[in-house]
Amino acid sequence: MTLAELARPAQDYSYAFLDEFAKREVRRRILKAIAIPGHQVPYASRELPIARGWGTGGLQVTLSIAGPHDIVKVIDQGADDSVNAVNLRRFIARMTGVATTSDAQLATIIQSRHRITEERLREGQVLVLQVPDPEPLRAVEPNISLAREMHADADYALMWLGLYEQVVRFGTFMTGASYPVVVHQRYLMSPSPIPRWDTPMLHQAAHLTLLSAGREKRLYAVPPYTDVRPIEFEDVFFQVENQQGRICEQSGAVNKFMNEIPQPDGSMCYQASDTGYVEKLVRRARGEPVAIGATYYDDDGTFYHPGYLKEQEPDHR
Amino acid sequence: MAVPLMSPQEERNHVTFTALMRALSHPGREQRLPDTGLAAFVAIGDALVDLETSYYTPHDALAAALVRTGARFLSPLQARYQFYPQLHDQHLDHLRVAPTGDYVAPEDSATLVVGCVIGSGPAVELRGPGIRSAIEVRIDGLPAAFWSLRAGTLRYPLGWDVFLVAGDRVIGLPRTTRVEMIE
Repeated sequence: MTLAELARPAQDYSYAFLDEFAKREVRRRILKAIAIPGHQVPYASRELPIARGWGTGGLQVTLSIAGPHDIVKVIDQGADDSVNAVNLRRFIARMTGVATTSDAQLATIIQSRHRITEERLREGQVLVLQVPDPEPLRAVEPNISLAREMHADADYALMWLGLYEQVVRFGTFMTGASYPVVVHQRYLMSPSPIPRWDTPMLHQAAHLTLLSAGREKRLYAVPPYTDVRPIEFEDVFFQVENQQGRICEQSGAVNKFMNEIPQPDGSMCYQASDTGYVEKLVRRARGEPVAIGATYYDDDGTFYHPGYLKEQEPDHR
Repeated sequence: MAVPLMSPQEERNHVTFTALMRALSHPGREQRLPDTGLAAFVAIGDALVDLETSYYTPHDALAAALVRTGARFLSPLQARYQFYPQLHDQHLDHLRVAPTGDYVAPEDSATLVVGCVIGSGPAVELRGPGIRSAIEVRIDGLPAAFWSLRAGTLRYPLGWDVFLVAGDRVIGLPRTTRVEMIE
C-alpha cells in the first residue's frame, strides 16, 4: 500500500461543503427527529458561508441529505427567482453536483422559506423548511428552558389561553404565519412562518418534512402520513386566508395563495405566490406540453382532505 | 471550481443514511443497504457513529470493526447505538435498560440495530406516523418476548427506535409505531 493510494485526491471543499463529522451529526439528529414528530432536537449548527438567519438551518439539512443524483428546488416565499433562493440553489449545486429545477414535480428535495408548493408533493420527496424561530411557545413563555419543560409536560395551557384571548378581543384568531400545530397528538410545533393557507398541507402528507433553524440550533420533522392539527376550539375553527375572488394576473389561477401587489391608483392586483406553478400554467397556456400535478386546493378552494378545514358559521360569538 | 466528489466511504455513508431515513419515514417498508450480513451493521455504524457518540454490541467481530469509528464502547445502560446481529433471550435484559431519553430530551435515547429475518415468521401489523393506514410484515429470528418488551418499555415520547436488518434489507421501527400481533 502506498501513500498515494491512501490519500484522497485534493479537493477545494468537502462534498456538500460540510465535513463528514458535521453531516453525520445532522443525520443522527434527523433520524431522532423523524422518530419523535414535532419535537425540537438540538444540533450543533456549523458555520456556513452564509450568515445565520439566512437559511443556514435548511441549508445544513439539504447538504446532509443530498447526493449527486438528487434534483433540488429552492424557493423563497414561493419564488424560485428571489436573490436568497438563487444564491442557496447555486451554492447547493456547486457543492453537491445536484441538478436543479423550478418544477415541484421533478424535485427530490425542496428547500423552502415560508411556503409549500401548490402542487401536492408525493412520497419520496423531502420538503426542507427554513425556520427562523422553532419555539411555538416563545410568545407566551420567553424563557426557553421553561418552554422546554412545558413541552416535556405537554403543558400547552398558556397557548390555549392566548388563543381564547384572541377570540375574546378580536372575534377571531389573529395568528397569521407560523400558526401553531399539534403533531401526532403530542407536540406543539411551529410549522415555520408558512401562511395559514399552507398549514393543512402538512397533515397526512405523502412527503417527509424536515424543519431546521440554524441560528436557534434546533431541527424537527413531520414524517409522512402524520396527523398535524392547527390549534382551534370546538366551536371556533382554524381558517385559512381567504383567496376567494383573487385571480392571478399572470396565469389566471384561482384559489391559490396570492401575493398582493399595490397599484398606483390604490387598487390591488394579485399574482400566485408559487412561481414554479405559475410558470407551468403559463407554458401550458402557450400550448407547450407540461405536466401539472394535482394541487392541495382545487380551483373552488376545496382542500384535498375532506372535512379537515371546517366552515365557520358567522354567528359563532 | 470543480464540484467536490464523494469518497467511496462518504458515498456508502450517504446511501446507508438515505436507506435509514426512508426506513424510519415509512415504518415496515423495506429499504436496501449498500452491504449485506455483518457488513450491513458496519455500514450503519459508519454512517451514524463517531467520536461524539457511543455504541454497544455483544458481537466481538462487530465491536472490533466499530472501534475504527472512534466512538466510546459503553454498557447497554448508556450506549446510544446498540448493535445486535443476533438478538438472543439474554440480550433482552440489555434492551430492558437501554436509554429511552427523558421528557425534556427524548432524543437522548438508544437506537437499536437488530438482526432478524424479514418475510417469514409471525405477522405483525404496524400503524402510526409514516404508514397510511396499516402495513403487515412478517418478522422472524427475534425472541418471542421482544414485542411485549418493546411495548412495555415504550412510554411515548420515551422509548428506543429500532432498525431491523436482514441481509441487505432494513425496516425502521420508530417509537411512534404501534405494533399488533396477528394470530
